[in-house]
Amino acid sequence: MTTSDDYINRVLSFLPRATPMRAQIAVELRGHIEERVAHGQSVDNVLRQLGDPALLAESYLSAVPLEPASFPARARAKLLDIALVVAIAAPPAALSWFVVPGEWFPFVILAVGAAGSVGFCVYTVLAEYWTGQTFGKRVFGLQVVRESGAPIGLGQAIVRLLPVTLQIYWIDVLFALFTDKRQRAFEMLSKTRVVRASGAQPAVHV
Amino acid sequence: MAVTNKADDRDDGRRGIERELKRGSLELIVLHLLAPGEAYGYEIVDKLTAETDGNLGVTDGTLYPVLYRLERAGFVEVRWETPARGVPRKYYRLTDAGRNELAVLTREWTTFADAMARLLGQPPKPQEN
Repeated sequence: MTTSDDYINRVLSFLPRATPMRAQIAVELRGHIEERVAHGQSVDNVLRQLGDPALLAESYLSAVPLEPASFPARARAKLLDIALVVAIAAPPAALSWFVVPGEWFPFVILAVGAAGSVGFCVYTVLAEYWTGQTFGKRVFGLQVVRESGAPIGLGQAIVRLLPVTLQIYWIDVLFALFTDKRQRAFEMLSKTRVVRASGAQPAVHV
Repeated sequence: MAVTNKADDRDDGRRGIERELKRGSLELIVLHLLAPGEAYGYEIVDKLTAETDGNLGVTDGTLYPVLYRLERAGFVEVRWETPARGVPRKYYRLTDAGRNELAVLTREWTTFADAMARLLGQPPKPQEN
């Protein structure tokens, strides 16, 4: 991979897959770099003039308006995600009724419940970090992004989930009813937002 | 105690004003440069440098997001052409909405420049018909 390819890939890594004309941005940048080099400039000089890949990507994203996701849409997406986890955890729990001795059944249910909760948290963090969308968010056309519209980092995905683990989720959610960008408190803390996905493709963390 | 160089502080302030002025007028500059006819990114940068004797320059990293913004706003339309060397080139051309926007921004800039000239005690330039 050439230096210019690496640079362009780094710019693309800060642009969600749903960014309009994302592929065209890459082609145009590649053409520009080649043109400058053909006119005698070094690749390093050309890339320096283009600037930091993250800043260049943010400049592009400033032209893409971020529409906050509505509270009902977010609630539906969350309920669907919970339903998915319950659907996965319910069969083993039901099966244990026939397999496990009666006195152990409550402990098995607790264990399945704990595993389901941990699984829900891990799934949510990884899905939002890798693609910007959980299953529920994908179904309802929502995605998680940074304030700039760029894909979120792993730390941000974890901070977003802290209210669930700290059992203050309902207080956290109330903020989304009153903030301009419809952000929960921990979304403001992690500098992330849930917005309507601008395309069919989800944001992907490269 | 930190020692500050007042000359450096003044230079930073001037560069800051110049930077902010350029940032606010970039769309006007690009629309104006496209008014005579279509051009691609590299050409636009060269035209700006040539027409202002190098007094106004825009970095490549600033120009392309501006062009992207103008395209998304419908002020420019694009066509792709693949020259002999093989890498596609994107040409930009003003739309009717872009020409209207150019007229609006030019009017706003002229009004602002005249007001600043009056404020600073210089006569405004006569209107070109």
